[in-house]
Formats: sequence, C-alpha cells, structure tokens
Amino acid sequence: MIEFLTDLFSNFWVSLAGKLLIVALMIPLVGMVIGFAEMKLSAKMQARVGPYFAGGRWGWAQLIADGVKFFQKEDLIPERADRNVFKVAPILVLISTVGLLVVIPFGPDIIFRDLSVGVFYALAISSLSTVGILMAGWSSANKYSLMGGLRAAAQLIAYELPLVLAVIGSVILAGTMSMTGIVEAQIEAGYPYVILQFLGFGIFIIAALAELSRIPFDMPIAESELVMGYLTEYSGFRFLFFFLAEFANMFSLSAIAVTLFLGGYWLPGIPEDVLAYAGPVIVIGKTFLLVFMMIWFRWTFPRFREDQLQSLAWKWLVPIALVNILVTGAFKVFL
Amino acid sequence: MTSSPSDTGTTTDPLQQFADGVAASVGGEAVIEFGTVKVRVPASEWVSALTKARDELGLVFFSWLSAVDWASEVEVGDPYPEAVEDRYELLATVADLSEGRRVVFSTDIHKSAPSIASLVEVYAGANWHEREAHEMFGIEFDGHPNLAHLYLPDSFLGHPLRKSFPLLSREVKPWPGTVDVEAMPGGEDEEAPEGPSEENPEA
Amino acid sequence: MIDQDLVRHLSESSVSVELETEEMTLNIGPQHPSTHGVLRLVARVEGERAFDVQPVIGYMHRGYEKLSEVRTYPQVTTLVNRIDWVSGYANEIPFIVAAERILGLEVPERAQYIRLILTEMARISSHLIFMASYPLELGAATPLFFALRERERVLDLLEGVTGGRFHPNFNRIGGVKPAYGSGSSTRKVIQDLPEGFLAETREAMDKVLEAAEEIEALVAGNEIILARTKGVGVLPAEVAASYGVSGPNLRASGVRFDLRKVEDYLPYDRFDFEIPIGENGDCWDRWHVRLLEIRQSVRIVQQAIDGIPSGPLQAKVPKVIKVPQGETYVRAENPKGEMGYYLISNGNQGPYRLKIRSASFSNISILPWILEGVLIPDIIAIMGSLDFVLGDVDR
Repeated sequence: MIEFLTDLFSNFWVSLAGKLLIVALMIPLVGMVIGFAEMKLSAKMQARVGPYFAGGRWGWAQLIADGVKFFQKEDLIPERADRNVFKVAPILVLISTVGLLVVIPFGPDIIFRDLSVGVFYALAISSLSTVGILMAGWSSANKYSLMGGLRAAAQLIAYELPLVLAVIGSVILAGTMSMTGIVEAQIEAGYPYVILQFLGFGIFIIAALAELSRIPFDMPIAESELVMGYLTEYSGFRFLFFFLAEFANMFSLSAIAVTLFLGGYWLPGIPEDVLAYAGPVIVIGKTFLLVFMMIWFRWTFPRFREDQLQSLAWKWLVPIALVNILVTGAFKVFL
Repeated sequence: MTSSPSDTGTTTDPLQQFADGVAASVGGEAVIEFGTVKVRVPASEWVSALTKARDELGLVFFSWLSAVDWASEVEVGDPYPEAVEDRYELLATVADLSEGRRVVFSTDIHKSAPSIASLVEVYAGANWHEREAHEMFGIEFDGHPNLAHLYLPDSFLGHPLRKSFPLLSREVKPWPGTVDVEAMPGGEDEEAPEGPSEENPEA
Repeated sequence: MIDQDLVRHLSESSVSVELETEEMTLNIGPQHPSTHGVLRLVARVEGERAFDVQPVIGYMHRGYEKLSEVRTYPQVTTLVNRIDWVSGYANEIPFIVAAERILGLEVPERAQYIRLILTEMARISSHLIFMASYPLELGAATPLFFALRERERVLDLLEGVTGGRFHPNFNRIGGVKPAYGSGSSTRKVIQDLPEGFLAETREAMDKVLEAAEEIEALVAGNEIILARTKGVGVLPAEVAASYGVSGPNLRASGVRFDLRKVEDYLPYDRFDFEIPIGENGDCWDRWHVRLLEIRQSVRIVQQAIDGIPSGPLQAKVPKVIKVPQGETYVRAENPKGEMGYYLISNGNQGPYRLKIRSASFSNISILPWILEGVLIPDIIAIMGSLDFVLGDVDR
C-alpha cells in the first residue's frame, strides 16, 4: 500500500495536484483558525467573552458561519467602478499569500518547493499584494477608497525596504538564500539567528505589521476615519477574500520570520528523525506565538498618523537595518 | 429681587455696585433681575458698548447672543399679561474668566427694519450666534461675513422663533389641553404623607 | 494662475481623472463613525491636508426653544434633558433653578445634596464616555470596554433613583421627585431615596476610581497616543474665550475657571475639590483634564454622601405652578461646558421665551479656526477631543 502511494506521488502531475490541494485548503483553514483566535483573544483582553454560541460553548464554528454568510451575500459592484479591476484586486492579494506559503519549510524535506532563491522569491511575491490593494482603492470610484488606496501605496512601499533589509542579516549568516538552507545553517550553528539578529527580527516584525496593514499601521483602513479605506466598497465573498488573505498573510509572514530568525522546524534537543514528524508541529507552534504577539499589538495600540508612519520607516528602520547588515557582514568576514 | 436704577445711593451690595460700574462705563442703564445683571444700551452704541466691556471691564468670554420677540399678539403659547411694545430685544451675554461676573447686554430693534451692527469683530464667537438669530428672527447683522442658514434647510421660508410663526403641529391637531401636573405632597387636597405602618405595610 | 472653475470641476468629477494632488472636496459625515452624531464637515483637502473646513449642523435641530413656549415647566424639563443626552441629569438643573429663582423658592437642603450627587454622577458618566470613545477614534479599541463597564454601574444607580438612565426627569420645581407608593390611588411617599443607594454609590465610586487608574495606565503613557495628541490642535486661551469655548476645553488651555466655584446654583461651596488645568491646550491636555475631573467628581460625591442632611425632598409648592413675571439667566458647569438658560416667564404655566445656551454649540464654532491646515487624521483627533454631542449643538 505504502509502495503504491509513493509510486503514485512520484508522478509529477499527481504530486503537483496534491500540493495544490493542500495549499488551497490551507488558506481558508489557517485564515479561520487565526480569525477565531483573534476574536477570542481580543475578547479576553477587553473583558468580553467573544464568540460563544456558534457550535457549542467555545463558539468555534463562528468563522465557518461568517464564511457562509459572506458567500451568500449579493455581489455588489458600484456603478461607476472599474469592473474588471475591481474583481481582480482581491484575487491578486490572495495569490501573493498563497505564493508565500510555497517556500516555507515545515520539516526537513517537507516543503512545497525548495527554491535556491527562496528568500528573494518570498519577498518579491509578498509585494504583489501592494498592487492588489492599489487596484482595490482605485477601482472603487469612491473618494474614501481612493484615499485609503493612496495611503496604502505609500505605506506598503515605504515598509518594503526595511522588510528586505532586515532579512539580509540572516542570509549573510547562513550563506544561502534557500529557506531550507537557512534552517539547516541554524541547526548546524546550534542557535537560532534571533540571538545575533535581534535588530533584524525586530525590524522584520514591525515591517510585517505594516505590510499587513494592521494596527498600529492600519492607516489605509483607518476605520474611524475613512469608513473602511480601500475596502469600503467590497462586500460578500470579495470581502471574504481580503479578510482571509489578511489572516493567512499573518501566518505566512510569521512563518517566514520563524524560518529566518527562530530556527524553523528545529528545537534544540530533538533528534533528526523525529523532526520529520514533529517539524510541522514545531513550525506551527512558533508561528502561532508570533501571531499571538501581532494580535496583542493590535488591541493595545492606537494607530500612527501617516507622516509619523513614514518617518518611522525612513528615518529609523532603514538606517538601523543598514547598520545591522554592516555589522553582520563584518562579523561574518572577520570571525 | 429687582432693584430700579434710580436708588443708586450708597449701596453695599457688591452685585449692585458692579452693575452700576458697568452701566457707567458703557453709558447704559443697569437692572438686576433675580441675580442677573442686565444693562440696556441704545442700538447705536451696541458695538462700542461691547467693545468697552471686552477691553475695559475684562468681560472677555462670549457666552451667547439671541433675541426676544416682544409681541402683543402671539400665535403660539400665552401672550405677556401686560401690554408690551412690539419690538425685538437683542440680548448678548458676556462674562469674565476670573470671578465669574456676567452681564447681559440688551438693546431694542424695531420690527419694521430689524438690523444692527455685527459683533463679529469684537467677539469671534458671535459669528454662529448671529447666524442663528438671523435665521430664527430675521434680524440683519451688518458686517457679518456669512449670514447663511445654520440649522434650517436653505429652502426654508420664514423665521421660526417669531411669535407670529405658528407651530404646524398645533395647526393640524389641537392641543389636548394642559395635562394635569402630578399632585404635590402636602398640597391643599392632599394629606400629610404617611409611611408604612403596622396594619398597612404597603401604605 | 489656475482657473478656479477648472479646479472645481476637476475636484468634483469622477475618480477616473489623472491622479495629481488637486484640491478635493471631502464630506466627512453626516454618517460617519467619528462625528459623534450627525455632524457634517465639508473639508477642502489637498493630498492629506485640509484647508477650509466648514461644519454643517442642523441635522438634529428639534426646535426646543419654540417648543418650550407651548409647554408647562415640568414638560419643558422632559424636553431639556434630551439636549446633552450623555449627561442627562445635568441639563435639567439650570432650568429648574432659573424657575425657582423667579419664584423665590427655597429648595430644601436634602434635595440640593441629592441634585449635586446626581449631577456629579452625570459628569462622571459623560467623561467616561469620552474616555471610551476618544482612544477608539485614534485606533485603540480596548479602553472602550473598561470605561463603559464602569459607566454601567453609574447608570444603574441613576436608574435606580430616577427611573431613567439617560432622561431622568427627576427634578421638580422646588426640589426633586420623591418615590411614591405602588398603585395609582395611593400617592403616599414611601421613601425618598432607594434603600442602599448611598452605600452602593460609595462602592461604585471606588470602582470608578479603579477604572480611571486602569485607563490612565493603558492610555496615558502610550507613545503612539502621545504622538497623536501632543501638540495637536493647540487652542490658545484668548481665542477660546472669544469663541465661547468652555468647560474642560477651556481649562485645558490653562484657564483655571470653573462655574461650580463661582455660581451658586448648587451648594458646591461646601465641598473641597480642585480644578485641574492643562498647560498647552492640545488634545492631550483636553483628555488629561477630563481624567482628572473624574477623580474630583468622585471626591465631591464621597463628601456629599458623608454629609447629606435629612429633610423633605421638595418645598411646598401648589399643585399647578405658575411662575410670576420676570427674567433671569442661570448657568451651570455641565460636563461639556457652560450650559445656561435665559428664562422669561409671563406668569403662566410655561415660559414666554427660553433661550438655551448649550456648551457644544460654542465648542464646535471653533472648528473652522482650529482645523485650518491640519492633516485629516488630526481632524478626527481634534474633533474627538472637543467632546461634543449633536443634541447639545442643535437643540
């Protein structure tokens, strides 16, 4: 039986279909789990209970119910909106999220595709969502959406640079851009890179929050000012795409941080052969820790103003990241 | 307790002294109405009186400005029991920010040509109050930058707070009559209140 | 020079023109999450900077001044506590005191103390709503729940005494309303305050102090809040005075002036409390002054509960009250600012003319001045810090 399965999956097309299926299922699953975690955690922080009735006492079926609700809503497109662009925008954002999941190593050989330029590819495809957001803001034919889209463009482009610069430290230390290569380098070195690259880690988390447009960087959405920013005119399943994409993106970016800084699927003291089974669990565990931190920030802080946001990126994060690269490079060469 | 402006004499009441001081300074007549100092000035002295109030008397806080429509015949409510001279009385209250002294300045405007100089140059806050008075009473304020409607839609005709402006709901449906106010304790046909007693615990 | 007509045409046309920073006319409201009601701001913006903001009000105008001419005094009380609905009880007081002054009535001490306690509780309730909604406008969603949780305690107490959370109708000319026995035929006074009211109020005040500590810890030291509110929307004291801005907004600009210390509509002179002021007159100071005022109000309530005398709740008044001819102006320190009533009575059961001076009307008349050249997120921050309510603006 096992032989039959391994033979079957060694066929390229079958394994491709299998991988596509898993990735396609992962997005809604991860989105729902993290969405539910956000609802419950934010409730605990605010002296509330959170979802309670849907699906028994824990309310775990809340997001399933929300998903179904979104799907059965009327598909509204504003009259003066640019129809094709309006429809394509959420799909682009989802594509970028899915693309990110492809290069995350869940175990020693468990990865959808190990690219030798994994880091480069990951950063490139995560910036595809910027285009999607701009398209959403522009095509909505609504002044509020336009302003949200413009703010989003400025913010996302500004924070791309710290995001990229922050990971270069880890790449230098590992000597390779392949994601599995970086994890293996951390296993060989015996410590996760965050110990040396704490600046890089900090900058990466801040820039990731800005890329996700989460508070404290949610100017583009800014609920109390622009109603919903670039998302104002989206309803029904298009809004669901954005919604799921945000949570899945949280997962993806956190998983990248885990891989590059926190040691990926490795925990000290666990032998190699166990890692093949425990690896995914470890990765998901560490990722959820980072996701918890992001949720915690969202409900504690207010939002930055646009100019404060920009000055944080350009005047603080980029110089610190450059210094980090310099020091790491010197460390690598001379030691 | 009202006091007439004629018994100035030697009075030790600080409020009366203050009122007389204000009246002397701006050239008007002071009256104390139940604890409120009211100074009447002629309409031509309106702006100069309030400028003096702001500069010399320290009354820098602009509280409000509005008008009263004194009319012998009214469309709504009850008229004044004595005969009144038909006019608009413009009221402006200013105060200071140290001892809480406040003065209500008042002047009369003819109904036939209701217009007066605007106070916008003296107190910036008069802007919106004068717009409201214009909208509600039809008083023209010369020198006001923008006498557009404040509350009412632009297409609204008429000046609602004039006594000659009827309440539409009263025209359509008659007022059911004064509803009897609830009985007061110890009134003429009420006995003194008793609490719960042994035989009657629910009183 | 740019052709003004062309600019106007471009700014009002659809979005599919080329994207340069031209002037755009942005309508904030009347349906908007942050405008505290139906306020509409017509802002001409260039990029993110607004340069000509005109408020459009009147969406909530109910014509109270006209209506009060056809109502009796107790009926006007029901109208009047709907002006500033967040601090319902405090609106009734100056009106009733004006009528009592013209009548020459002496209100019993116990009634005055009860009025004072309830007014201070209304002030706490109004400031807690501000504590809840202001960080929400800046983006922080959590203080909302802490503040509103404590406000529920205060509102429950208010409901227990007066029967209404927001519109108490508890004042009568000559005092406050006693609780009657059940059944419409027995109009005998059972008790004046509900049993245990004073003890529960004391507990609630302690809880309010704790909540104020919590909110201060969460909000006051937060760098992002400081960056969003310090130096934003500075209001100099002279400008504030000439526009008629009053209350915590004026005190945040450094003017140590509180109507509770200079007017005698309630016996505040028997209690010991401070007047907090701010230094710069920016949004941060306006927030901070209101937090400190919550603490002072709690202090006053605790002193009042300790010293409340016994006695009747209402002076002897006839069944149908006619206020003799006269006019007077009574003003009070409402949570939002100075609220005053100029009452002209004509000897009948209702007023001849009632001019309502509401605090928020003057407070927001300053918006065109203060919002000149300001970034759009700051518009929201400044508007929120002025703490107005549309019922108070439009009457």
